[in-house]
Amino acid sequence: MNDPETTHLVEVQINGERYERAVQARELLVHFIRDTLALKGTHIGCDTGNCGACTVLVDGQPMKSCMMLAVQADGLSLETVESLSPAGEELSDLQKAFNDQHAVQCGWCTPGMLMQAKALLERDPDPDVETIRRTLKGNICRCTGYVNIVRAVQQAAGQDVSAGIQQEARA
Amino acid sequence: MLARPLKYARPASVAEATALLRSHPGARPLAGGQSIVNVLKLRAAEVDALIDISRLEELRTIAATPDGGLELGAGVRYVELASAPLVRERLPIVADVADGLVDVQVRNRGTLGGNICLNDPTSNFPPLLVALGATIRIAGAGAERRSVPAGDFFVGPYRCALEPGELVHSVVLAPLGGDEGVGYQTLQLARDSWALARAAVWLRRDGDAIADARVVLGCLGPRPARQGAIEAALLGGGGGEASVSAAVAAPLEGIDAVGDSHASPEYRVEMARVYAKRAIHQALAQTEAPA
Repeated sequence: MNDPETTHLVEVQINGERYERAVQARELLVHFIRDTLALKGTHIGCDTGNCGACTVLVDGQPMKSCMMLAVQADGLSLETVESLSPAGEELSDLQKAFNDQHAVQCGWCTPGMLMQAKALLERDPDPDVETIRRTLKGNICRCTGYVNIVRAVQQAAGQDVSAGIQQEARA
Repeated sequence: MLARPLKYARPASVAEATALLRSHPGARPLAGGQSIVNVLKLRAAEVDALIDISRLEELRTIAATPDGGLELGAGVRYVELASAPLVRERLPIVADVADGLVDVQVRNRGTLGGNICLNDPTSNFPPLLVALGATIRIAGAGAERRSVPAGDFFVGPYRCALEPGELVHSVVLAPLGGDEGVGYQTLQLARDSWALARAAVWLRRDGDAIADARVVLGCLGPRPARQGAIEAALLGGGGGEASVSAAVAAPLEGIDAVGDSHASPEYRVEMARVYAKRAIHQALAQTEAPA
């Protein structure tokens, strides 16, 4: 049995690439991603688990990387916002939809929104507005640009967004 | 924010985990981490080491018990409770409550065991488990196990009946008979959101009369509060509108409501009576369904 240690060697797969690094037990996953691996696409918003800006996919499931220790990701497979369109390649359909619908104001929440939306559309390729809104509950946009964000997810799902979403959301 | 320096271990079995907890008195179990990671960041508790139990398969099972009930491993995540066909079939209220917790990310990571060990007064599962008459199975040294009724497990705010060196192993739930029903009603700020008052009810009907009942209020005191006077007032009655309204007007027990920017203590207590009434009717409606 291994006694508790302060430093651990972890091996993680991030966006298809394998990384092996020594981490301190107290190190948050988001700090590991941003500072150790220099993948700056994942943002820190509140640092208290409330805002979801740091959401990444862990074995395909959205989780807040400020609410996980780096050592807990050992052996797991992660996806960050960088995975959506590798450098030099075109934006993914989901990113294009955010662009088309102007679903970005200050942009701080966007990486988390995108990863949450990606997981949603993989789980449910044709979600209704209520499902989209409820799914995005764990991702706060403090510019309050939710209407455009929901519309962008609808566009990415191939839904007709020309009529807007307001009436449907109230129905 | 950065936690104090600490140590971490990922034992390979429950026996190893409890051995590490015994040999390191400053250690705490780490399951989904959706509360303790914040506690560490805020440096709100002295934790020298984390014993990661989140991958122990022994704690991650959802099992059918021979009597028709369920045994839910402490390490089962909310998303797994919400989607497990066995839970849906045998005790759908448990799946519904898990599905309504916080947000997608927390449901993907938070665990049943973590929820009940934290025993936050606003938590969803403590009042539900007391109402359901759940049994908490606790792992001690080696293969040692002891069981504690949910009613005795929740000791106070952020405190439970675990002794040093122990872990919650699983939650055992009895099956619901055709003459039994469960109600669970929450006043909350929004869907999947912060709760202001909560009522969980289990009852059994014998013919036209309520033969047994557990009425539990949450969010209003240090621990889930059984309401003996409401239960007594329900017994023998038919569950009609007037009799239920009279029952929930009975004196409350174990209440020490705190106000905040969302609601005054008086408002919470008044709404708890309203939600208790709704939960009782919800439970009664299930007993009326054809067997």
